[in-house]
Amino acid sequence: MSVSLTKARTLVVDDFQGMRTILRDIVRAMGVTHVDTAANGREALNLLRGSRYDVVICDFNLGPGLNGQQVLDEARLHDYIGVSTIWVMVTAEKTAEMVMGAAEVKPDEYLLKPINQSILESRLERLIVKKQALRGIEEAIKAKDYAAAIDRCDQLLHADAAKHPEILRIKSDLQLKVGDYDGAKALFESILAARSVPWARTGLGKVYFHKGEYDNARNTFQQVLDENRMFIEASDWLAKTFEALGERGRAQQVLLDAVKLSPNSASRQKVLGETAHKNGDLGVAQAAFERTIKISEFSSNKNPTAYVALAKVLSESDAPDEALKVLTRTKGVFKDSTDVAIQAAAVESAVYRKTGQQDLSDAAMAQAEQLLASQPGKLSQDTAIEVAQAMLALGRKDQAFGLMRDLVKNHHEDTQLSNKVEELFEQAQMGAEGRSLIAESREEVIQINNQGVMLAKQGQFAEGARLLRTALQNLPGSEVVMMNLCGLLIGQMRAEGKSDALMTEVMELLERVRELNPMNDKARQYMSALHPSGGRGPG
Amino acid sequence: MAQDDISFTDLIASSIHDMKNSLNVQISELEKISDQCKKVGDLQAYEDLGGVIYQANRMNSNLIQLLSLYKLDKAIYPVDIAECSIAELIGDVLLQNRSVMDFKKIELSMDCSDDCVWYVDRDLVAGVLLNALNNAYQYTQDKIRVTAQIKDGWLELRIEDNGKGYPPFMLRDEAAAAAKGVSFLTGSTGLGFYFSSQVARMHKNGDRQGMLIIENGGAYGGGCFVVRLP
Repeated sequence: MSVSLTKARTLVVDDFQGMRTILRDIVRAMGVTHVDTAANGREALNLLRGSRYDVVICDFNLGPGLNGQQVLDEARLHDYIGVSTIWVMVTAEKTAEMVMGAAEVKPDEYLLKPINQSILESRLERLIVKKQALRGIEEAIKAKDYAAAIDRCDQLLHADAAKHPEILRIKSDLQLKVGDYDGAKALFESILAARSVPWARTGLGKVYFHKGEYDNARNTFQQVLDENRMFIEASDWLAKTFEALGERGRAQQVLLDAVKLSPNSASRQKVLGETAHKNGDLGVAQAAFERTIKISEFSSNKNPTAYVALAKVLSESDAPDEALKVLTRTKGVFKDSTDVAIQAAAVESAVYRKTGQQDLSDAAMAQAEQLLASQPGKLSQDTAIEVAQAMLALGRKDQAFGLMRDLVKNHHEDTQLSNKVEELFEQAQMGAEGRSLIAESREEVIQINNQGVMLAKQGQFAEGARLLRTALQNLPGSEVVMMNLCGLLIGQMRAEGKSDALMTEVMELLERVRELNPMNDKARQYMSALHPSGGRGPG
Repeated sequence: MAQDDISFTDLIASSIHDMKNSLNVQISELEKISDQCKKVGDLQAYEDLGGVIYQANRMNSNLIQLLSLYKLDKAIYPVDIAECSIAELIGDVLLQNRSVMDFKKIELSMDCSDDCVWYVDRDLVAGVLLNALNNAYQYTQDKIRVTAQIKDGWLELRIEDNGKGYPPFMLRDEAAAAAKGVSFLTGSTGLGFYFSSQVARMHKNGDRQGMLIIENGGAYGGGCFVVRLP
């Protein structure tokens, strides 16, 4: 028994009194002096909020309410546990979720019952060693400093002649994250040369997907599933690939199969709902959205999109009363979000319109607009599209077009968004007009950016910066414009010497980008470049 | 009628699951009692309990095998063939059985290098080892050893004892069964062999497939239970 383990503050979570006592006794017998117990997810979270635990031993199945994975998700979401906390999930049987949940946050270890003292003790000792070895990587990942995390992986791989596969796996995930597809591909292929390992083949499929090689991606994910159909992550990606190939029916079938094997992923159910909805399969869509909502019932990380989508599906299924009920519920659940209130009001307007209650429809829309006016420039993409849809339904075409023009300009490089906008117009039977709106809006921003870059090349940094500053006033949400402006300002300082005013402007821009998109790599690189001595800049 | 909709095998599976839970609580309690007996010096009770715990473990191992086979058959077992430290895997299984072996004063040893990493479904292979140990426990005199080695692209796991070895008919039937590619559900120990050979065969690499071999000899000249995984 290592000293660090006897001193570990430990929490045991199990809904079954007998099991809870057994686990607590085992932990005590190991010499651990501080052991708390909780009988359900809520109790566990209250304890986790109150104090920092070093070790959490948590049963997966906790009866009604949150399950073990959801407790872990919540604890991580609210930062109740740090990267050094060891989380052991105890289960009576192996499940598909354990093998390949799409879960972002995974426990450090799954332990199958029966558990005795020697097993638990040896696992915990081992986890402490492993945790220490991986600590540098985990900390860098938590700070979203992926470059540093990759460096750390390389250091460990150099030190370890056996090239531990787990580190390779972490490294490849990071390479995908930062867009180093060639590096990731080489890594996956070197592993696959010796053996068809599902995570490596799935990774290779992701590389193909990101490179737009959808046929290769489809074949690769399909092969993973043929060899190992429990590797659900490959199903999610296969569905995504079919969607990209325009084969939405097959995407739905893949998701239906995946959901049968692993029904408890809210995100997968939501994607199934969206896919079925687009396919016009309202029954499947309704069930999937209901399930999405049900899974997240006790979670604080609920997704409003599923609620709003369920209301729309119900309205389309000629169940307006049900749809309105869902919207009322939505407003209650997300009462702190103006954004959701706007969406709900817009959909409400559409529901009333469909039932012919024009007054009520207009009133709901007026409410949406009033809320909209109170939130200038802060609209989420989904909300903007929802509102535009309602406006189109009410025949307010100019307003809808204006809203969508701004949205596309603010995110002109986001093809997923353009697809969504295109679909919106398609549904309203304005496909051609929609497409030209998207093309023109994108072109406009591209032109401005090009001019800026051109001026920079000619050394006219101040001129270029002026141009982009003006553009930014109309496009307050455009990451690309902000980043280009940063580039120009940095160029200007290189040419003319540092200036406090420009420096402040750059830092403010980077901060805005970081707020919009913490994953923006270029912003991260600029940050590090501007803070060469201070390490990584704010994480 | 609703009752007709319930499949008998599903019912058995869920019952097995339930039994397994009860058994786990029972085993934990028995271990606690036996520790207390040892502490207060009641060695007779301590030894008696050893046999009881062994039987309970055997039952648990059988239930796990049945449940796994049910799920494999229905293709709902989450097979997860991934990198695994074999020394850790063996170490865990031995730890689980150490106390039982101690009761019978069996010398249990292990030979596997720390950097031996192979692609296996950890839980299924642990089940195979557990079954082999339970078996060896029954037939050995006083020695069991578990070894693992990577040779020519295969992982070879051996569980050897110093008992009398397998009777000739079993060695014969085993060879015949392997040739036909079906299992040999004969005799009282059919479940363990069937389970182990199924698990071995599930491990594939390219066109090679895992296999189960039983033989006599090895380091102690007794029974050898050998699993080779590609």
